[in-house]
Amino acid sequence: MSWSNENRNEYINFTEKHKNIFIFFLLAFLFLSAKLFYLQVIKGSYYKNISEHQRLHTTHERAFRGLIYDKNNKLLVDNITNYVALFYPFEQQYVPTEESIEKLGEILHKDIKKSIETGWRYGRVVKLAEDLTMNEAFKIQENKLFLPGITVVKEPKRICYDSVENAHVIGYVNELRSEELENMDNSELKTGDIVGRCGIEQSYDKYIRGKDGGLSFEVNAKGRHNKTFDYEAPVIGNSVYLTIDNELQKVAYKALEESSTGKGAAIVLDVNTGAVRAFVSCPGYDVNKISYVKEYRNYLRDKKLPFFNRCIQALYPPGSIFKIVTFTAALEHLKHNPYIVENCLGYFELGDRFYSCSLKKGHKKLNLIAAMAYSCNIYFYKLGLELGVKVIDEYAKKFNLGKKTGIDIASEKNGFVPTPEWKKAKMKIPWLKGDTAILAIGQGALWVTPLQMANLMSAVAANGVSYKPYFVEKIKDSVTNKIIYTHEPKPNEKIELSQYTWDNLHKSLEAAVDYGTAKRTKFEKLKVAAKTGTAENPHGDDHAWVVAYAPAEKPEVALAVIVENGGYGGQVSVPVAREILKKYFNIVEEEPEEQKEKYKQNFKNKKNSKKNKSKIVTGKRTKNVKR
Amino acid sequence: MSNDNQSIFTKIIKNTDVTFLVSLFYLLFMGFCAIYSAGFSGVNSSKYLTTQTAALVIGSVGMVFLASFNYQYYKHFYKFIYVCSCLLLVSVLIFGLEIKGTKGWFKFPFFSFQPVEITKIILILVLSAFIDTHWKEIKKLSVFIKTLLITFGHFAIVMLQPDFSSTLPYFPITLVLLYIAGAKVRYIFAVILYGGLAVLIPLLTTFFKLQPELLKNNKVLNFFVSAPSDWHNAAIIFGSIILIIFIIKWFLNKLRIPVGWTYLVIFLFLIFAGSFSSVVVEKSLKEYQRKRLIVFLKPEIDSRASGYNIIQSKIAIGSGQIYGKGFLKGTQTQLGFLPEQRTDFIFSVIGEEGGYIFSQLTIIFYFLFVWRALVVAKHSRDRFGSLIAAGIATMFAFSGIINMGMVMGLMPVTGLPLLLLSYGGSSMLSSMFAIGILISIHLRRFY
Repeated sequence: MSWSNENRNEYINFTEKHKNIFIFFLLAFLFLSAKLFYLQVIKGSYYKNISEHQRLHTTHERAFRGLIYDKNNKLLVDNITNYVALFYPFEQQYVPTEESIEKLGEILHKDIKKSIETGWRYGRVVKLAEDLTMNEAFKIQENKLFLPGITVVKEPKRICYDSVENAHVIGYVNELRSEELENMDNSELKTGDIVGRCGIEQSYDKYIRGKDGGLSFEVNAKGRHNKTFDYEAPVIGNSVYLTIDNELQKVAYKALEESSTGKGAAIVLDVNTGAVRAFVSCPGYDVNKISYVKEYRNYLRDKKLPFFNRCIQALYPPGSIFKIVTFTAALEHLKHNPYIVENCLGYFELGDRFYSCSLKKGHKKLNLIAAMAYSCNIYFYKLGLELGVKVIDEYAKKFNLGKKTGIDIASEKNGFVPTPEWKKAKMKIPWLKGDTAILAIGQGALWVTPLQMANLMSAVAANGVSYKPYFVEKIKDSVTNKIIYTHEPKPNEKIELSQYTWDNLHKSLEAAVDYGTAKRTKFEKLKVAAKTGTAENPHGDDHAWVVAYAPAEKPEVALAVIVENGGYGGQVSVPVAREILKKYFNIVEEEPEEQKEKYKQNFKNKKNSKKNKSKIVTGKRTKNVKR
Repeated sequence: MSNDNQSIFTKIIKNTDVTFLVSLFYLLFMGFCAIYSAGFSGVNSSKYLTTQTAALVIGSVGMVFLASFNYQYYKHFYKFIYVCSCLLLVSVLIFGLEIKGTKGWFKFPFFSFQPVEITKIILILVLSAFIDTHWKEIKKLSVFIKTLLITFGHFAIVMLQPDFSSTLPYFPITLVLLYIAGAKVRYIFAVILYGGLAVLIPLLTTFFKLQPELLKNNKVLNFFVSAPSDWHNAAIIFGSIILIIFIIKWFLNKLRIPVGWTYLVIFLFLIFAGSFSSVVVEKSLKEYQRKRLIVFLKPEIDSRASGYNIIQSKIAIGSGQIYGKGFLKGTQTQLGFLPEQRTDFIFSVIGEEGGYIFSQLTIIFYFLFVWRALVVAKHSRDRFGSLIAAGIATMFAFSGIINMGMVMGLMPVTGLPLLLLSYGGSSMLSSMFAIGILISIHLRRFY
């Protein structure tokens, strides 16, 4: 049969080795089978997933974000179409090939190498060029064969009209970064999605954001399209109708810009609903240019802090405006008769210190109504000491100071009302009588936002009734045109004071316009109630405040204006308020020449006026307190 | 039992080993399906199938011819065959066509031909004949070395092309033949140790150099990796190896296990020789080749270059899951993610489109095929036949193990085709010739 008969021993030896070889092969093939089983059966779905992933590409067609209108249906924010060249990497090719870079450079007449290195990336997708013209976009499509992996997609671009004036209301948009997404609990969003960054764009993002569409298609290993699977058209976001009046915004911004320092804030609230009619923080920034790195850096470097939303983020001492609170507290708590006359000598002695009045020579004899109108500090020092810090704090909190107004945009500040406990804990010194005295005229560690002041004035105007300020009146579905959201006024807790107190307060505020510090808001046909303030600022020049409501008989709007480091409220802020009121009530009266001259002079004199600050050297330190 | 008057066809059919035949047909069929599928999305989809069919037809004719030819004649003029095969290999160096940097092809009007595939079979015949004629002295070192030199002759010429991957089957075939013929196992181990060191040192160095972070954090590893290029480190390592060996020797003596000094000296010599040869190996292999050979251990470290093929192949096989994606429906294959799908990675095509069922069947039938070849070796009428059959079985077995191991990420990417399945006229021809010789041995087992 075989050679076994000839060489028995040899053959046995051979069969033994033969068997070993056989076993060796058997084990090797078993090992292969085991690995095969592992790959296909155990890890099968894992690899299936990878293979699907590398074969299917999805292009995103971004949805247009919703449009934003102002109160008068004027379009504030719109979209334009921007053509963008993207590179979709395919296996072994993570950057465009040299030839395609050259070819694309030829079409666009610029070097795109740099944008590949530094450009925007969406996962593995690289943005090669943006703002393409139609012609360029078509040329790229025509040369598709020479540009593997390169696609032109339409991308909406947000444009904002009157962007500087409305910057702090509207906010801006940009792409969501992956590290931000990690901290968010939102499965709808993904890296690279456009989201609102502040203002309305941010707080109403889920309404404004549309639904992205896209094209999913199969690519081969060389990155060429093989076939398209399905196309989903993007859906535009909802339209948002704001309460603000664009024209009023522009007037307010212009007036602030032309004020002495060009820094400040102006807010106009509808007394009856809380609707924000104007909301200006000056200086603003150009929302449309924020995506350009250079512009962005310039804004960041600007000493005037254009990104700082002074309406809700800035904290100022209210100064004399706080006298409204002291006034009501005195009438309610002390049953103080506002017609009691005090004698103002221009200074006030408490312990070893002197506290001055706004008028160095003193207001002489005056009652509380006149003290409000002239913003006499002495009267209020006395009232403050009589009331005590507890009662003042209680009334400050009644007027919603020290807490957010609840406006519908983000990053609002709380403000602060100091208490003796706080001072003790923070500074390790007990609360002194002097602290109470200066608290009564709105100084010390009292911090408010301009919006809080506007809201306070709105409550004063409506006898204690006020609403949470809001921007968005209604939201309309852009496709079906149905209204999907309407704002319901949200009242704050009513400030319960006697009608007698309200009447006297209104009388005193009207008096301030009539013959007091806010004389410059006096109109022939419109009765205005206002209070000015000059807030002492430990870090620089004083802030000029004014709050007002009008018409005094039947209030419609309340406003607050602050010019940062502006100086005297009555001289710097009141003209701004006057411009706003003129615009709001459409007053076209010809002003007397003389008065106009006077205003101009006041603008010019602002530096001189600062020098005239009254200074009284007290025993320990210099203290100057203004109206 | 058999009749000399019977025609060769009747003989073949009468002596047909059903298992062998079924395995062969299954493998050929799967190969054709996979080649068709691999070329399906291309321009010349039928071109490859035509070439392969032509090679199969010619190969079958050759197979019948070789089956009818008595294999025992080869023994008488094996020296002549050897010289002829060497001349063939030399002539391709002179007249050959260069493809992808390898001068290993004869160009003819309608086809090109790779002689190294045929010389592989000739080498098996020559080695078997040499061992068979010297079987009595097989335990002698001189015969062992002479056998190695025969292989080295071919190896050296092929490496001049240079075609490293084609020479790979030489080593297992030679060693298996020597082992099965009864050569001393320690000689074989010595060769494996020497060869292993010579190849592994440069490859592992390359592997670790691909992972700079790992080297940065691991001082010990860094020391070893820098040894081949830094004589100080190398000297320290050799010194410690010598020390360790002496400690082991001393320890074994304590345990009263006598170990001769000669063994130790030879062992040390092999380590030195292997390490020094590694320098030659490092020089002869280009960097990308070294990377490709070792990256299978961790393809992710170089996923876009040397590891790409393995990653894509594993994805292709794995994504086939149990039932496969269906004939012509494999996305990895049809969309071109899978590289070299017609040749080296043909098994991945089967894995993706046929799923676990068909690929496991392929492994099983491949093994059955090898097993039947080994059975032929066992039942051969003489030692020469046994050696040839064992050599051929080894050739197929290693082709299967190395290729399928490679596509599944178990073995280095060597570019070795899967015999009987991969596209390639020359390898198909040589496989059919080898089968012809096997049949010849099988037919003549009784007389």
